[in-house]
Amino acid sequence: MAREPDGDELDDLLLRCARQDAEALQSLYRRTAPRLLAILMRILGTRTAAEDALQDAFIRIWQQAGQYDRIKGRAMAWMVAIARNRAIDLQRAGRPMVLLGAAELAQAEQFRVEGPADNLEFTASHDALRRCLELLSSGQRQCLLLAYQRGLTHERIAPLIGQPLGTIKSWIRRGLQSLRACLEP
Amino acid sequence: MNYNRPELLDRLAAEYVVGLLRYRARARFERLCDELSYALTARERWEDRLLPLSLALAPLAPGANVWPQIERAIASTSAVPQITSRPALRRWWLAAAAASLVAIALLVGKLTIWSEPAWQPVAILAPAHGAPLWRLERSADGSEINIRTLGAVTLSAAQSYELWILPSGPGNPVSLGLLPRHGKLERRLSETQRTLLLAARQVAVSIEPARGSPTGLPTGPVVIVVPIARAI
Repeated sequence: MAREPDGDELDDLLLRCARQDAEALQSLYRRTAPRLLAILMRILGTRTAAEDALQDAFIRIWQQAGQYDRIKGRAMAWMVAIARNRAIDLQRAGRPMVLLGAAELAQAEQFRVEGPADNLEFTASHDALRRCLELLSSGQRQCLLLAYQRGLTHERIAPLIGQPLGTIKSWIRRGLQSLRACLEP
Repeated sequence: MNYNRPELLDRLAAEYVVGLLRYRARARFERLCDELSYALTARERWEDRLLPLSLALAPLAPGANVWPQIERAIASTSAVPQITSRPALRRWWLAAAAASLVAIALLVGKLTIWSEPAWQPVAILAPAHGAPLWRLERSADGSEINIRTLGAVTLSAAQSYELWILPSGPGNPVSLGLLPRHGKLERRLSETQRTLLLAARQVAVSIEPARGSPTGLPTGPVVIVVPIARAI
């Protein structure tokens, strides 16, 4: 895994959170909350629900900082996983979700790199993923992005795409296999 | 599902990370990650692979009221210990239960001395020609292990030491997780790990990538093989 942007600084902040340093959590919040909120908004659909989830996510980050393994150096991936899991749990628990319009559906097929240009290695991992996504069929790519970025299940994707459930399942499964093979030949 | 089939486990990890599993299946996979280091590895690798898709979204500034709410929430939880240590709590209950047993035993006059050691020795982990690096102990019922670092553990950040049970009968080594570089570490074992450890005669240590063996079996050089102490 390529190094994350600001990886060392985020690692240090998490270590300080593990020692109950609340100022470190505030710095962590300033640096990462806008990115996490963008992720939560996509999954939960409304700002109120996304900000509630953001609050929950940071409380969890604070409580679980002692379990973060600094040696692995993947602070952002760790925090994103906490935030996404919270959002997916809330969404599955039946929070209302805004339906997607046609324009948004079309947008789901795009994958733009707006990554941090100051970190060459991490930009490289963006580029690698984009290149590998481009190799998928457009159906596979669209399903994967709707599942990952929107947090939609197979059952919710099928009517949006207008394909039978079995097709959606096999597109996603094969898409994930191809991605893995492409990223790690 | 057969979790020993790596390709199935990897598919499950991918579907978990993407968010395709239902609530129960999600919880089951999370428990699996607590028990199997390679399940956790598979999950983290998928989190890393797909992370750019999350970070590609345009950032969005949270409302001004969000941080004060977080600050209030953590201030109210700071008074209690942050990480609730369930094993410690259970040991407390065990101690309380043991104490009442002692009281009962003393009453009926059958027992005069009761000593229940908190940890029982399993092995001292030392290379064939080197100083001891860790002490491995287990709880009386074998459901938890305690690893204490004894010497200076030197290894690059890209590598780790992984502990393995060598089963007494036929079968592959089973991971007990990564060894700490300093301090001590307590770990709860799965039922499979517990049974194997209680029956095993040897444990081993191998050098693996930083996140542990990617295959679930030792992949790097085995640097330590030591017998397990038997209680008489």
